[in-house]
Amino acid sequence: MMSTQPRKTLLEVRGLRTYFDTEAGVAKAVDDVSFDLYEGEVLGVVGESGSGKSVTALSILRLIPSPPGRIVEGSIRFQGRELLQTSIDEIRSIRGKEIAMIFQEPMTSLNPVFSIGMQLTEAVLAHENITRKQAEARAIEMLERVGIADPARRLNDFPHQFSGGMRQRVMIAMALLGTPSLLIADEPTTALDVTIQAQILELMLKLKDEQAGAAILLITHNLAVVAETCDRVMVMYGGKIQEVAPVRDLFNNPLHPYTRGLLASLPEHDAGHDPDQEKTRRERLRTIPGNVPSIMELPVGCKFNTRCTERIERCFAEEPELIEITPGRSARCHLVTK
Amino acid sequence: MTITNNNSNGQAGNILEVENLRVSYPITGGVFARKIAEVRAVDDVSFVLQQGETLGLVGESGCGKSTVGRAIVNILRAMVYGVEISGRILYHPPQESPTTSTQANNHAGPVDLASLSRAAMRPYRPDLQMIFQDPYSSLNPRMTVGQIVEEPLTIHARLTKQERVDRVGWLLEKVGLTREQSSRYPHEFSGGQRQRIGIARALATNPRIVIADEPVSALDVSIQAQVINLMQDLQDEFGLSYLFIAHDLSLVRHISDRIAVMYLGHIVEVGSAANVYKAPMHPYSRALLSAVPRPDPDARRADRIRLSGEVPNPINKPSGCAFRTRCPIAKPSCADAVPPLELKGDRWVACPHV
Repeated sequence: MMSTQPRKTLLEVRGLRTYFDTEAGVAKAVDDVSFDLYEGEVLGVVGESGSGKSVTALSILRLIPSPPGRIVEGSIRFQGRELLQTSIDEIRSIRGKEIAMIFQEPMTSLNPVFSIGMQLTEAVLAHENITRKQAEARAIEMLERVGIADPARRLNDFPHQFSGGMRQRVMIAMALLGTPSLLIADEPTTALDVTIQAQILELMLKLKDEQAGAAILLITHNLAVVAETCDRVMVMYGGKIQEVAPVRDLFNNPLHPYTRGLLASLPEHDAGHDPDQEKTRRERLRTIPGNVPSIMELPVGCKFNTRCTERIERCFAEEPELIEITPGRSARCHLVTK
Repeated sequence: MTITNNNSNGQAGNILEVENLRVSYPITGGVFARKIAEVRAVDDVSFVLQQGETLGLVGESGCGKSTVGRAIVNILRAMVYGVEISGRILYHPPQESPTTSTQANNHAGPVDLASLSRAAMRPYRPDLQMIFQDPYSSLNPRMTVGQIVEEPLTIHARLTKQERVDRVGWLLEKVGLTREQSSRYPHEFSGGQRQRIGIARALATNPRIVIADEPVSALDVSIQAQVINLMQDLQDEFGLSYLFIAHDLSLVRHISDRIAVMYLGHIVEVGSAANVYKAPMHPYSRALLSAVPRPDPDARRADRIRLSGEVPNPINKPSGCAFRTRCPIAKPSCADAVPPLELKGDRWVACPHV
């Protein structure tokens, strides 16, 4: 997977801050987030509710509802272009065509009163100057690619006539109509059954590989999905990146106490050290104590200090920097040094 | 068909026996909402739940696993007009009545819950409780936590106000909350804390069987483990029997002693959790477990069993074996009859070709 030649950066995010003004104060949903996404890779963004992972994705597409949300500062460069400085018209032409996004719940992302064919052809016509017939042909071709049987006939069907997995395929078809070089997938399989999840993830990876230089930003809470699909992983907590690592390093040698806690709380997946195959009952899961704090009540210092089992005094006084430990690996923790 | 006790931990007998359970939901249409078809959501399901064990019920959406849970607590008739239920749900009440429930269940033998009217069911309700998936919608936002947990006691137990308050405080402490929090409202709690409240409510009447329908799937990853541990601790302390309904197969494996795999209303495999996970036998169980992603990047599998297509619509179930339209080893004979669950070595499998 890792080539020796320097990878080309597709997306470069620097110092992104996205805040929401609420009655209770300012919620710093994304607080100084910087990362690179390289061509051809799948970058996983892992985090729990309120970690800022979805807001980061929405910020890239400038889809933050304003008010109450606002991108306070930062830079998002996509193929060298600064997205935060472009006009909203220009962003519209980038959305769907160069950067596409798919969401968790395909039913709410599709319009229930228009046929699938209508929605797909509209998506093509919005970006390209071709006839409706040509657009329809493209839609049929794309439905076929995502594995929908008899696509020409199904064009006239409405979203409710598709199952959850099929709807997500339609969403992927729609996302890929413009042959985007960046696909942002926000919990794309969370609402699906496992056998369908496996199909959809496989499809996303296959379609990515078919297009040179394309990359996927995969947002998920599911560490197993990350392990199976991503090249690199970014762990977020409290609006900040806590750890970045190639996927193998993250799972084999997690550095940040939060990452370690997350991985430890997963049930053992193999019988492995249990030769008698009799389940050792009362085996307890390891847990991260406490609750996921709301972004309104994040602590001073390290954002994880309310739940960390390894915290020291310094963690309450000063927030650690995200520092590069080894090339390609960073962590934000006072206890982790080069 | 009865499934015998093949659990190795020698617990004290069955607390619940489900025999040939069938549940059909009506499909209505037309101006007068007449029944025009039916969905057999649960089709000839039989299993036993043993005293003190956890039976995991797994399967994909629409397989009927939640319907089984709701049938056991006998709330389907109240939920769906025209639902048809047949088969038996034999509950073995304790010999002497539990202290907190009022009506004495002094019947000697088992009771068929499926045949009971709402009123006749009432004495048994304290013994069978449910924990729901969504901790956000399953708690009344206008009631305090204390009122929520107290409500089942008000209905089912003859306790004084002070006794109830004491018990609520004790329950909240049991699930890791504090007595003082009983005057607060659900919105003041996080998802994991709300699920703890739901668990405290379920435990209020001293149940013997708890049906947990996707109890942690709405929770954050770091919170799921806390709730699973809590459920195991409470099981140890109170000798609860769990029917754990979930689609997260790795969690089911962790908490369950035995597992039943469902597909389109049928149980296709039953066995000990370790055996079923280690070597699933039914082609559907094999495909289902193979599809579960593993949190190990070194174990990315190229040998994954790919199921073609999707679960058929339960209104037009395939004849014979319901899985045959997607089964990699289907034979023409599979269309002839529904394969019965048969004992194969250490477990029950509904497939003649394995």
